[in-house]
Amino acid sequence: MASRPPAAAASRSPDLPTRRRPAVWIAVHLPDLPLQAWTVALPPEQQKQPLALMAGARVEAVNAEAERCGVQVGMKRATALALAANLIRGQADAAREAETLRAVAYTALQFTPAVALHDDATVLLEVSTTQRVMGGLPALLARLKSSISPWGLSIRVATAPTADGAALLASWPEASTRLKSERTPSIQELRNITDDAPLNLLKAARAQWAQLQLMGLSTVGDLRALPREGLSRRWGTQLLDEVDALCGDRPQAHAWVSLPDRFEARLELLFRADNTEQVLYGAERLLERLVAWARARRGRVRTVQLQLVHELRHRHDDETPPATLLELAMAEPTHDMAHMRVLLRERLMRTPLPASVHELRIACSDLVFSEAPSGELFPTRASEQQGLLRLVERLQARLGREAVNRLEAVADHRPERATRCKPLDPVDWMRELTPRTPRARSKPTASVVAAQPPLALTRPVWLLREPLALPVIRSAPSLEGHPLRLLAGPERIESGWWDDLTVRDYFVAQAHDQSLVWIYRARLPLSGPEPEAAETEKTPADPPSASGWYLHGRFA
Amino acid sequence: MDALFLPSPVVGRLDPVSASVEPEQIHPELWRGDQLGCLPERAVPTGWSALDGQLPGGGWPRQALTELLLKHPGVGEVRLVAAALSAIARGEQGEARAVMLFDPPAMPCAWAMEQLGLPAQTLIVVHGREGPRGAARRHLLTATDVLWALEQALRSGHAGAILAWLPDRLRPDALRRLQLAAQAHGGPVFLLRGIEERMKPSPAPLRLALHAQGSDILTVRILKRRGPPLQQTLSLPLPPLAAVHRQRRHDRHSQPELPAVKVPEPVLSPMTAWDLDLPLEVLA
Repeated sequence: MASRPPAAAASRSPDLPTRRRPAVWIAVHLPDLPLQAWTVALPPEQQKQPLALMAGARVEAVNAEAERCGVQVGMKRATALALAANLIRGQADAAREAETLRAVAYTALQFTPAVALHDDATVLLEVSTTQRVMGGLPALLARLKSSISPWGLSIRVATAPTADGAALLASWPEASTRLKSERTPSIQELRNITDDAPLNLLKAARAQWAQLQLMGLSTVGDLRALPREGLSRRWGTQLLDEVDALCGDRPQAHAWVSLPDRFEARLELLFRADNTEQVLYGAERLLERLVAWARARRGRVRTVQLQLVHELRHRHDDETPPATLLELAMAEPTHDMAHMRVLLRERLMRTPLPASVHELRIACSDLVFSEAPSGELFPTRASEQQGLLRLVERLQARLGREAVNRLEAVADHRPERATRCKPLDPVDWMRELTPRTPRARSKPTASVVAAQPPLALTRPVWLLREPLALPVIRSAPSLEGHPLRLLAGPERIESGWWDDLTVRDYFVAQAHDQSLVWIYRARLPLSGPEPEAAETEKTPADPPSASGWYLHGRFA
Repeated sequence: MDALFLPSPVVGRLDPVSASVEPEQIHPELWRGDQLGCLPERAVPTGWSALDGQLPGGGWPRQALTELLLKHPGVGEVRLVAAALSAIARGEQGEARAVMLFDPPAMPCAWAMEQLGLPAQTLIVVHGREGPRGAARRHLLTATDVLWALEQALRSGHAGAILAWLPDRLRPDALRRLQLAAQAHGGPVFLLRGIEERMKPSPAPLRLALHAQGSDILTVRILKRRGPPLQQTLSLPLPPLAAVHRQRRHDRHSQPELPAVKVPEPVLSPMTAWDLDLPLEVLA
């Protein structure tokens, strides 16, 4: 700019290093991941029993109930069964554990964009950029814990200025006793604390743990005391790099977790699901993960495909379909877990299961990224319409789409075709009720018309689906044994030459109990003798079809 | 009780108050046995001043069930409630809302509804017993489904007015549940049932029995209301049918010596013999 004096440019100080915000890392460690990734799919009554995860024929992990019975890690299967007869055994599955860890990572992505996985059971978050938005580090930690806790996973959380340091503190059970306060330790404090950390917490040292112990090295501090060249020559650079990265002496590269565009997850049910409740229990777990992914992507779910994989009764079972596909479509995109659960429940109750279900798969690729409607304190017209939309959706989920209808007046003179019933499509209906252009919005909508007195009725309110044939008594049509008194003269409706010609004379008649009915006389000869020939005074109770009189509606 | 002792706010000791304290002064929902009760919120005017005068609150009650008992569908029940429903659908009673019909006995005719003041886009019909035209029988709903749908609509509070035709055999607690759910609903709820239900007790605070009387007249007998029992029946003139009206006028002109037929005023006619078998309803 020309106004800046040239002397200011000369007196500018040399380049200062830009102040870098110190990194804050949170590590979420799942100590019982193999066992809990399996037990989360069990029904609640089974989760209270002793559970053990087997690797081959040996026990690998046990829950508290099994420990109380005496089952320990490393026992053989027969021993464990002898100690706890109702022990439920499961097999470890690496894919299942990886999926659970990924689900936790997606939940963590709501709080910060920098999330990485550290070995098999730890999720790392870098929150220096977002902790202020979330209300400070303690508030962020509380929210993180509360978003993971409904999943039934036990977690241990630690914070540190470096990633590996946080991961170490989280996986070391005694770290919490050594930390002086709740706040994040500084680099110096971290160095002091990690000096006492056992070496088997480091991935590189775990493989050579026995040899390290033989040499008398059991903590990280021992390693740090040794000369570096000797260490690297003896154990390789990897161990040294890990120890350096603990306190930030060495920069680290992380593989950040990125959100996929399409969410897919599967859950193998460890019991055969025969009824809705059991399928719903498993499906809810999958829905929780879907909602975590949708929230991390800042979108709202519109359609979800749920596939129920059936168990074949025998190997060449051709009658049972391999899978049932349920498509859940929301008229209003949502990431509200409760609403989706209600819809899924009603949908599942209406779906017959041809065979028992042993696996559930969920897939979703349809997210909507627009602004959600904001919650308001006082109901406005828009929120009332949203509420009605949700009500219609709920009814249609349980009763079926064809049960909830709207009427449509058709320009046809034939009364049975003048009204059409169409299944209500909530989105179209809403669009019809709220005009789009702003100018049209200022005028009253079609539903708000000026008050008029009701017009005189020309049509009955209730129309019978099939016209009821009326017997004739003494040349007058009769209903329930009593003759009808014709009040208003014939209205001839003759229409439909293109598909179904109807020529009828309509009358308004009064029945025995003084109610009004709408009857007609068909003019064209029907099957049987001519109407004029059959309708004589001498022959009471003519065959119905020959008389030509029909009841079509009632005036209500 | 001749005198009520109420604490005086200023002096701090009990002062006798005169005996003529009105129940309404203590709480707006209190009423004496010989008065008509008043409703906590504004009632929907029925359209007939004679009926308004006999109903507590001066109209159809909101947030409560109203039972209309008829012998068979087609005595004039829809014309009776059409004035109130069209006012709700048009938005005169608050926001313009939708009107829901649950399990109607036959197909409603869109033209007729339009003529009564209910345009087709404000109606939602939940079909129960008869599926839409041409649908197979598998679309018929069970009684539990219809009751569930009705309860959901009442609880949500987003529908403007509800007309429901209930299944014949109901469990005794089903109506009680609907009455509780109706308290969340902002508009009138009409349950249409058969005339034989008048012998059975019901938690609905307002019960009317309807009978057709001639082409344009509906006889209304109030079986139960929050107030003294009404001994007489009301005859209300309904919106006439155009064809019948024209025919009458034509007949009148063609025979001028007959006295002019005028639409009768609503009258309170004395009880007829078939009213005497009515059991005394316990007031709500």
